[in-house]
Amino acid sequence: MVSFAGLERSTLDGLVRPGHYGRAGATGLLIEERRDLAFASVTAKRGKRFALVNAVNTAFGVALPDGPRRATRGSVTFAGTGPDQWIASADGSEAAGFANKVRARIGPFAAVSDQSDARLVLRLSGPRVCDVLAKGVPVDLHAQAFKPGDIACTVVSYINTQIDMLDDAPTYQLAAPRSMAGSFWSWLTASAAEFGYDVIAP
Amino acid sequence: MRIPCPYCGPRGNDEFIYLGDATVRRPDPQALGASDAFYEYVYLRDNPSGLHQELWYHGGGCRSWLVVTRNTRTHEISDVTFAAGGKL
Repeated sequence: MVSFAGLERSTLDGLVRPGHYGRAGATGLLIEERRDLAFASVTAKRGKRFALVNAVNTAFGVALPDGPRRATRGSVTFAGTGPDQWIASADGSEAAGFANKVRARIGPFAAVSDQSDARLVLRLSGPRVCDVLAKGVPVDLHAQAFKPGDIACTVVSYINTQIDMLDDAPTYQLAAPRSMAGSFWSWLTASAAEFGYDVIAP
Repeated sequence: MRIPCPYCGPRGNDEFIYLGDATVRRPDPQALGASDAFYEYVYLRDNPSGLHQELWYHGGGCRSWLVVTRNTRTHEISDVTFAAGGKL
């Protein structure tokens, strides 16, 4: 098997530099790219859903969400992306070989596929984050409708995007297909420019 | 038009792809008159004024096939269920 270790680069390399952009003297949005997250898609095998729930609970101490929500224990998160489908993610020491670790623990009950290099992941916060997201996110993000731990798979500027609400600061995590990163960045920065935004070094 | 996805909640119809009539069934190819039955199955569709059961794919969300009951006169949606595990 070919190893690509050491060849990791962000799809935003060459496109983005840390700094302040847009409106001078104001920072409405903070953008931080997350390069340290590993992802694996998890799809329950037919008739194995309950066995999978038990296996995930035993292996990771996580209660699999039965809707569009995320559940975290330590550095491992499972987010519900569809019926019998989840995206598992990990950072820190769990990230290395994450998909293989997941497959080793729950493989009899689920199809597990490595998605680590497939996604652009941005963490967004700041006083105007909701105003920025309102320009492209067709899902109601009002505090009464979308709470910390909720996620939504939707379409932002014609790009399939997963939105996770991490906390009520609020902080959101957006994941878009890696191949669409340039277009996604274009939408995000055009939408944030009027408020001013800071790109934080990863 | 917004479709209340049973997994994701209400979403705009631009997240979905329309397939059409959810009630047609593939005929038995061994049966007498199978040729005519297949002609009808592949090409002929009713165009009802009122309630219509139809397949929508939520490609922009949970990637599920849904059976949507929609009033073709008003676009009112009275029922949405997952196609998988249902009667289809």
